[in-house]
Amino acid sequence: MEWLDTVVYGEVTYYHLLIFVIDVIVAVVVAKAISVYLKKYLSDRIEKAELDIIIRILQVVVILIGFYIGLPRFEFNLADLILVGGTLTIVIGLATQKMGSNFVSGLFLLIERPIKPGDTVQVESVTGVVQKIHILSTIIKTFEGIYVRIPNETVFTSEIVNYVANVARRFEYVVGISYQDDAGRAIRVIQDLLEAHPFVLKHPSPSVFLDELGDSSVVLKVLIWCPSRVWWSVRTELLQEIKTAIEDAGTVIPFPQRVITLQEAPPGR
Amino acid sequence: MYYRTTASRSIEKILGSRGGRIIVNPVEPLNLPQEVTRYLEFHFTPIVVPSESEQRIFLTFPVEIGVFLQDKRGFTVIDIFSFAPQKYSLYGTPDDGVITRHVDSDVFDSVPYLVDPLATGVMELTIFNASRTQVEVTRAVFENASLNVYYGDFVAMKGRMEVYSKAIAETTTLLTPFREGMRAAVPLFASRQIALAEGLKYLMEHGVGG
Repeated sequence: MEWLDTVVYGEVTYYHLLIFVIDVIVAVVVAKAISVYLKKYLSDRIEKAELDIIIRILQVVVILIGFYIGLPRFEFNLADLILVGGTLTIVIGLATQKMGSNFVSGLFLLIERPIKPGDTVQVESVTGVVQKIHILSTIIKTFEGIYVRIPNETVFTSEIVNYVANVARRFEYVVGISYQDDAGRAIRVIQDLLEAHPFVLKHPSPSVFLDELGDSSVVLKVLIWCPSRVWWSVRTELLQEIKTAIEDAGTVIPFPQRVITLQEAPPGR
Repeated sequence: MYYRTTASRSIEKILGSRGGRIIVNPVEPLNLPQEVTRYLEFHFTPIVVPSESEQRIFLTFPVEIGVFLQDKRGFTVIDIFSFAPQKYSLYGTPDDGVITRHVDSDVFDSVPYLVDPLATGVMELTIFNASRTQVEVTRAVFENASLNVYYGDFVAMKGRMEVYSKAIAETTTLLTPFREGMRAAVPLFASRQIALAEGLKYLMEHGVGG
């Protein structure tokens, strides 16, 4: 085993190299073990994106500790290393300013949590469902199924509309009925329909009222609160049901119309 | 092969497992027509409870029935159906509250007669007013992890509500059968075993009246 004392560079021997490599391998194995352990026991408690970030930070810390333990074997001067490291950090920092900004924005997104995976959101002109929040970017899948990657800095500094941040939301319908029909009856038919629908919330209660005497129709307004998670499906299916119900009740939904009165031309013209 | 037909819907499933047995029992009524909440909210005629006193009432709730496949690995839910209508509500505000399964119930002083025990269950609710003033209670909200359903001739739960003020109360259901001989329903929620061990309670922070 004399070869271990053979000098490779300066005062660094194969022994030092071996210890360093073992240090790093142990650090990588420990980091991997931590990753597996955290995934097993925290995956049902923490969002995947956040868990990934925590795991990566811990892995980097563990591997840096491994490096730090291995470095004295090379008899490095820590002060020199810090100086070199600090300079490198500034150089890399300047070169990757945008990345740093995105990274910090990503951290703030995780802390403030204006959006999270699974939320339906609008960021600038992009509307869709948040798929993942990475360290540098946020992935949104639009309703057309398009993959959109938005840098975290853009997400953080933009106006965000989160359609499901609140557990309940309201939507409305405008229903026009003919002037010949009984508006009160149409309102009762719609109220009965809303009462029977499971996801039209009992509280806040829905509201159906005569809103306007329009040019071609008497306009009813229907205001409905429902769970945010199902609002779109409720919105789409209820309008069809309202149309069918009020038509079954004999109410007419009129087309736009204009009454034209024709007068006979005066004699002699 | 599993078939189920009710007035509203029919389903058909091929069961991959050849072994095991089918268990049919009531589950927490929070699943239909699709799961959107973990909370069950009872609304009832106002009950005036004097300070530091207890009031026992009986309420009714809609029953949901779960079909499970039990094998070596545990229980797998195959189907959930109900003969009772569903309705949901909001407890609290849209930004700070929770969606709840809404149950409008009459108040009874003893176990009510049930026209259809497969559609309606009974909750025995003991309300304890721990505050220094008289409190009017019109609602009780329970979280799924604290719901312990028992069944026999009918489906039942025993609940307890401790009112600390008009705004705050704590609810849970008891781990004891409603009546001698009733069986505990198979837990539906995976987390429930842990929750039961911890005796989980739900803190109602948006009031007990109104």
